[in-house]
Amino acid sequence: MSAEPQPDLPGGAEATAAEYVLGLLTEAERRDFEAQLAADPGLEQEVASWCACFAALTDPIPESVPPASVWSGIETRLHGPARPGLLRQLLPYLLGAVTAAAIAWAAMVSGLLNTGGTGPDLYADLVAGEQGLELLAHYAPDSGTFMVRRDAGDYPPDRALEIWLLSDAEQAPVSLGVVQPEGLTSIPLDRAVAAQLGGATIALSEEPPGGSPTGLPTGPVIALGQLAER
Amino acid sequence: MASSPHPDIEDLIARVAMADRAAFARLYERTSAKLFGVCLRVLQDRAQAEEALQDTYVKVWNNAGKYRVNGYSPMTWLITLARNSAVDRRRRSDVGRAVQPLELDDRLADPAPGPAQQAEARDDAQALALCMDELPPDRAEMVRRAYLEGATYAELATATGVKLNTVRTWLRRSLISLRECLSR
Repeated sequence: MSAEPQPDLPGGAEATAAEYVLGLLTEAERRDFEAQLAADPGLEQEVASWCACFAALTDPIPESVPPASVWSGIETRLHGPARPGLLRQLLPYLLGAVTAAAIAWAAMVSGLLNTGGTGPDLYADLVAGEQGLELLAHYAPDSGTFMVRRDAGDYPPDRALEIWLLSDAEQAPVSLGVVQPEGLTSIPLDRAVAAQLGGATIALSEEPPGGSPTGLPTGPVIALGQLAER
Repeated sequence: MASSPHPDIEDLIARVAMADRAAFARLYERTSAKLFGVCLRVLQDRAQAEEALQDTYVKVWNNAGKYRVNGYSPMTWLITLARNSAVDRRRRSDVGRAVQPLELDDRLADPAPGPAQQAEARDDAQALALCMDELPPDRAEMVRRAYLEGATYAELATATGVKLNTVRTWLRRSLISLRECLSR
């Protein structure tokens, strides 16, 4: 075994995989091991099973609820400082721009009037910057159809693009369908699915031809958008 | 770990991979008490454990997309991230910390059929606990310290008063015995 730290040590690659998981290899040994790991799926499996084995050592450890400051710290590290409350954001407008407020009120009232019956049309832009691809997703409630139009860029030649609905955190992503490589994609939706669309996030992922084989996204998510009225 | 509803956590991780912040909050709600317990166990210090827990969830957010391809159960993946974050902090922050002595004993591993073979192990954790019991107590303690405290070979050598390479040989043998026991 070429990645063996010292040939006289017992246990072979199996024990070295355990030392790797424990963080006990020297820098040079770790580099050798990782090079071997990249080339050997069997070794990868060995590492995974050691991780599972050691993780079970934490079973007797009592749970402990962390203070709320930890969560806000995580949010700040990932998404920047929390924005000021809604009222504070709106206050300048409420105080100063009476006219603007009146216009906003009028817009809101007319918006409300439009929402009777079948609900509003919903739109979302899906922009995959890296791929130079821009799509417009549109749900038309009168026909119950979800449509996807390509506005810029090209579809990847040997991959399918699949649209996913992320309506709430309780539920796994729901596939809405695969984008057609030619022309307008038009997907009839069940009423139950359509009812979840307002304000929901949709995602575009790259999948093998024909779409995800597992029912959940398997490839990278290349664009996200939020369905809203326009 | 039997206490955690796996399919739900797996779904949540899949959604976190798609930058779903609500799912991320839900995942935190479900798993943070367990992972904070792990960080506290490793670091023995609340402030440090809080930092390590933040490191952990930042990694969860950034690496959730890689989770699906690497074949770990969701709790194993999360616990491994938490343990490693905590160990990283511990090793960085207390270089030269005092090492608790580890008493050696000469009791050999029990070669008789152990409880692991007699009782049907209910789950991984129970099987592991039974197999750890089959190791001599000092060797089991070394395994525990290496994982749960991030002890290095140098620290284990200091704790036991034996040479580093001897400690390493012992630990590797113990790990192999553990695996043999678990695969029985």
